[in-house]
Amino acid sequence: MKKVCENWGNYFPTENLGDHLFPEFEKRASAASTEIFRAKTALEAQEFVTNLAKFTNAKKIVTVDSPLQNAAGINQQLQSMGIAVYTDVADIAEHAESSDIGISTVEFGIAESGSVCMDGYAFESRLVSMLPPIHIAFMNSNNIVLGITEAFDIISKVYDRGYISFITGPSRTADIERVLTIGVHGPSRFILIAIDEEVAGGVL
Amino acid sequence: METNNRNLKNEIAEKLGDEVLRGALGRFAEAYPIARAKAYENVEDIDALRNQLRAMKIDTVANIEKVADKFETEATKRGAKVFRAKDGDALKKYLIDLCQEKGVKRIVKSKSMASEEIHLNHSLEAAGLHVKETDLGEWIISLAGHKPSHMVMPAIHLNKEQIAGYFSKELKQEIPTDIPIMVQVARQNLRKEFLLADMGISGANFGIAENGAIGLVTNEGNARLATTLPRVHVVIMGYEKLIPNITDAAPILRTLPRNATGQLMTSYMTMVSGQTPVMVKQDGKWIEQEKELHIILLDNGRLKAAHDDKFKEIYQCVRCASCLNVCPIYTLVGGHVYGHIYAGGIGAILTALLNSQEDFDKINELCIGCRKCVDICPGKINIPGLIDELRSQTVKEKGLPFGVRMVFENVLANRKVFHNLLRLASIGQKPFTTGHVIRHLPLFLAGMAKDRSLPAIADVPLRDRIGKITKKIVKPTKRVALFAGCNTDFVFPETGEAVYKVLQDLNMEVIFPEDQSCCGKPLLGMGDRDIAKKIAKRNIVAFEEAKADVILSSCPTCTETWHETYVDLFADDAEWKLRAEKIAHKFKEFTSFVAESYANTGRLTSAPGGTKVTYHDSCHAKRGLGIYKEPRALLDATSGYELVEMKDCDKCCGMAGAFGIKYTEISMPILKQKITNIKDTGAEIIAVGCPACMMQIQGGLDKQAPHIKVKHIAQLLADKIKD
Repeated sequence: MKKVCENWGNYFPTENLGDHLFPEFEKRASAASTEIFRAKTALEAQEFVTNLAKFTNAKKIVTVDSPLQNAAGINQQLQSMGIAVYTDVADIAEHAESSDIGISTVEFGIAESGSVCMDGYAFESRLVSMLPPIHIAFMNSNNIVLGITEAFDIISKVYDRGYISFITGPSRTADIERVLTIGVHGPSRFILIAIDEEVAGGVL
Repeated sequence: METNNRNLKNEIAEKLGDEVLRGALGRFAEAYPIARAKAYENVEDIDALRNQLRAMKIDTVANIEKVADKFETEATKRGAKVFRAKDGDALKKYLIDLCQEKGVKRIVKSKSMASEEIHLNHSLEAAGLHVKETDLGEWIISLAGHKPSHMVMPAIHLNKEQIAGYFSKELKQEIPTDIPIMVQVARQNLRKEFLLADMGISGANFGIAENGAIGLVTNEGNARLATTLPRVHVVIMGYEKLIPNITDAAPILRTLPRNATGQLMTSYMTMVSGQTPVMVKQDGKWIEQEKELHIILLDNGRLKAAHDDKFKEIYQCVRCASCLNVCPIYTLVGGHVYGHIYAGGIGAILTALLNSQEDFDKINELCIGCRKCVDICPGKINIPGLIDELRSQTVKEKGLPFGVRMVFENVLANRKVFHNLLRLASIGQKPFTTGHVIRHLPLFLAGMAKDRSLPAIADVPLRDRIGKITKKIVKPTKRVALFAGCNTDFVFPETGEAVYKVLQDLNMEVIFPEDQSCCGKPLLGMGDRDIAKKIAKRNIVAFEEAKADVILSSCPTCTETWHETYVDLFADDAEWKLRAEKIAHKFKEFTSFVAESYANTGRLTSAPGGTKVTYHDSCHAKRGLGIYKEPRALLDATSGYELVEMKDCDKCCGMAGAFGIKYTEISMPILKQKITNIKDTGAEIIAVGCPACMMQIQGGLDKQAPHIKVKHIAQLLADKIKD
């Protein structure tokens, strides 16, 4: 899969990075209506995703893989529940619009704003995060930087070309009478699964 | 030019009568400052952040061609095609040709003010293209056939009932007035458009020269879809969005969402550098391609502004629209009266530079110079200053209206004639006046007061009372020359008397140079720099000859004029510039000077209890001179007064020069709110540090709360000094 950077972790700051920033990140992200689930292990995360799929009655899921998701063994588990799971780019292009959930992985979180940074160079990684009504993103809970300035310090080291996004909560609008309404063009739920466990072979 | 023969007064009357608009803007004006303050709660030093943004933007505009060249090189290297459009016509031709070449029939747009600026949709539709705005607010106004009334919330002037009506008409089915349902209806309808579109057009919040990337902030996610799904992506971006480096995006992203919507970050921030993959269905099969990427840099007056010493400041704008949100005029009348598509103070400037000076001329008076916007602008743009500059350009090119010019040249430029006329006015007005009414005295002579009663000119001006109030001071600590200004000299001489009393009580010698005249601010407000220069020179000479240690004024507006405008007026005249600077250095405002003198003599200590007094911050004192602690310290130190703060104590009283006279209907609601805030404190006295605010507030009190007295701080201090 095409990425702006193959290993973002190599460019993280050596100081002021880590899960001590997680409480602040969580506070800000929750305030922006991100639903956060913190898991100690990849296995815990797997349970959470399968439960969510069950309770939302998901029939079709599009997902772009990452080592973190693979460690959690999500795809097999979802398939075993009878859910159609698409991972190939052409399949994602065909099915993202009619899928119930999209799953991807994000690189790091920003404590200042509760945003997460997504490497969206690959077309399929963007589709899974945009078209279905629910977007689930995996992240390692140690990958939190202090602020937007620090985030751009990382980005400036890795960004030559491609597509990078910050996601801060679900799609929203206040264009009618300034009433906050969730889920306009993008997902109405943004669920972040933060896993404490370091996964072998790098985080991502 | 936008529209001919506009009747601005009728348009304003209509907006003031629009209950939906008034309600929405009123609620927003209340909520916005709170939301913004909350969003900045985790920014340690807001001012440092604003300075960082400002400095970065100033550096960029100084090298705009180099930055643009670098951007073009880097974007091209990564597969983008960069086109530099001189104006709207060039842009439209490029775009329509591109659509033909690429077989584009359907277009989705995410928000782009630059495309609104050149009325792009109109031309695309005329060329037979199917174009849809996808930002909800933009979609709503496109269905309504309106222009945006706010840069961030284009449909703020409409309520849900009106919007449901437009939806029902467009979709030919009854849409209920339930906002979540309406949003879902928009999602479903526009999702189809995204999936079918051949081309996505977006704006850009920034363009990075280092790697040719563009950045977009949105909440709805429409920009992500418009830049991802269609096979062609066109970016329309003004030159002012360019920044040199990737890290320069940080200060924009730390300020723009906080200032625009009170968010720490919008739901989505998207950056695209170069071509990216896109999946296209061909013969039933999905094929991956490199997306066609075109970036159009729109000039349309921007590059000329970049090379103008003053107007290059517009490059510091990040289009957050916070200047609208705090503007006393915008929040009353909304965006449509500004004529073109950009609203508020910054909008008036952009209209002049990017559209036409004629359109600006029609609306240029809708700025009252209160500087609320300067305080809140992330890029610290001096919006009222630029508006003054544009006014003076108009006057330079076209001159003032005949009657006004005659008065300025023949009356104001000649102190003796001017002052004799004022004396005559004090006799002539007798049967007609009941109180003090007008601000910026000289203007009534120019026939601009036709909708208002004349100001009550004092029987005996301050200049004729000097002999009586001057005490002989033995061994004075300082020699102070008083610059009275028109209002203190001819309308409120009692304030001048109080100033004498307070200073003499401090063992200072006070003198009144006879040759002083109007500071010239009203002329500058009208854009007449030439006569203002003449008056400035005479005033400077009069005070040089006074040989005083300190020059003092109890009017913050006059003080600011001496401090800044005089120096600025003589930017091209080294000798006079030096003289203006030298004298500006000696020029002090009354409350800050007295507070300092009291502190030096140990008199500035708290003396609680007494009559309740509330204080109104004048715009020029608070935001022009940065004086707001000192008057409060003086009230606190004077026994017998207890300071109680009012809501929005630093919001403009609404008079502001010619404005309150010409646009009484806008000025009055602002004043009414001010009086309500004063009444709510339960204070018996409203203290001011500015004779102009004093005049306006007195007019309001007479009608709404005659039991409350308005007094200048000098009088409150003098009242407690034994004769």
